[in-house]
Amino acid sequence: MKQTYNLIVAAAVTSLLAACTSTPDRIEELETARAVVPQVESSPRAGVAATNVAEARKSLDRANRIADQKGKVGDIQFEAMVAARNAEIANEKILAAQAQEEIEKGTAERQAVLIEAREAESRRRAQQAQSATQQAQLAEQRASTLEKELSDLRAKKTDRGMVLTLGDVLFDTGMATLKPGAYNTIDRLATVLKEAPDRKVMIEGHTDSVGSDDYNRQLSERRAAAVQTALLERGVTSNQITATGKGETFPVASNDNAAGRQQNRRVEMVFTDDASQVASDVN
Amino acid sequence: MKTPIFRAGLAALGALALGVVAGCSSVSPVTKERVARSETTVQQAEQTVGRSEAGAIELQRAKDHLEQARAALNKKQAEPAERHAQLAQLDAELAVAKSQSASARRAANELLASIKTLREETARGVVASDQ
Repeated sequence: MKQTYNLIVAAAVTSLLAACTSTPDRIEELETARAVVPQVESSPRAGVAATNVAEARKSLDRANRIADQKGKVGDIQFEAMVAARNAEIANEKILAAQAQEEIEKGTAERQAVLIEAREAESRRRAQQAQSATQQAQLAEQRASTLEKELSDLRAKKTDRGMVLTLGDVLFDTGMATLKPGAYNTIDRLATVLKEAPDRKVMIEGHTDSVGSDDYNRQLSERRAAAVQTALLERGVTSNQITATGKGETFPVASNDNAAGRQQNRRVEMVFTDDASQVASDVN
Repeated sequence: MKTPIFRAGLAALGALALGVVAGCSSVSPVTKERVARSETTVQQAEQTVGRSEAGAIELQRAKDHLEQARAALNKKQAEPAERHAQLAQLDAELAVAKSQSASARRAANELLASIKTLREETARGVVASDQ
């Protein structure tokens, strides 16, 4: 089709140039018509411009006949021009039909692509929903694992959340270094905290009333920090843990006897149900 | 006595007279009709082509032929008037055909481009919207 068009243009240009110097032996209009008419006749879509194609052929035949009979150049030129114009019109109609065909095919294709896109989108959404459900289930599972672990470790449910008390057996007297016996508990805590990254824990150090307030507060702070460090070393993320020292201000038993003092020397780990609760405790 | 030669001469004279009369008489209504029809076609083509580039040259050529057809009509030249009218008609039709095929081509190209974009968006997972 492109070739046809080029031919027509080339022929038109030649005829324009030739118009000034036309000689009786060679009539450019006739040459043009002879070139373009067979082109549109042979097009597989010639049917869309049947009238123009037929008119082009009729005029070309007339022009050829006049030329054979050595008729008037003006007559030949006129018939040839009519033939060429009809062929050009036919060519444009063929091009338009071709474009129209592409539009029809394209419209159907576009529809198919749209449907395909919507299906892919709904598949994607379904997948997202499914993975969200799975995530929720996993989180729930992790949470229940934590609850179970904590209850295994004999944590108590309080209005501050689950509170796990680690007795002074974890530390030597006056020291803030964890004893090896504490590792098992710390390991288990680290494991559950890593599995429930949305859970937070507040570590509070407490002492008995022996020694100065200042000393006790610092000792309790160091003990809380030791537990925090141990958890961090086991891979718990730092934003899950806060550590404070409360000194001797929150006894859970009497400081008058040894048993009571031992109960007071402790590290408490407060597990909150959600982040906001710890945050409000800290602030 | 009327000889055959005389009769032939009379016939020839008659034919000549007829020819002279035809040459001087105004162009036939058919020719006028032909020019008028081309005028209508050119006007319609002007509306279809509008300001679009495709068909502009052909439209101008149609106007030129129409001008020449009118001039020939004024000079009572039947054949040039007929021929220019016909060429004006054909050029106007060609202008319309060119403008229509160009806009069909443009529409087809836009559609193909939109399909390509749509396919790319689908591949990237962008939400498809029906537009």
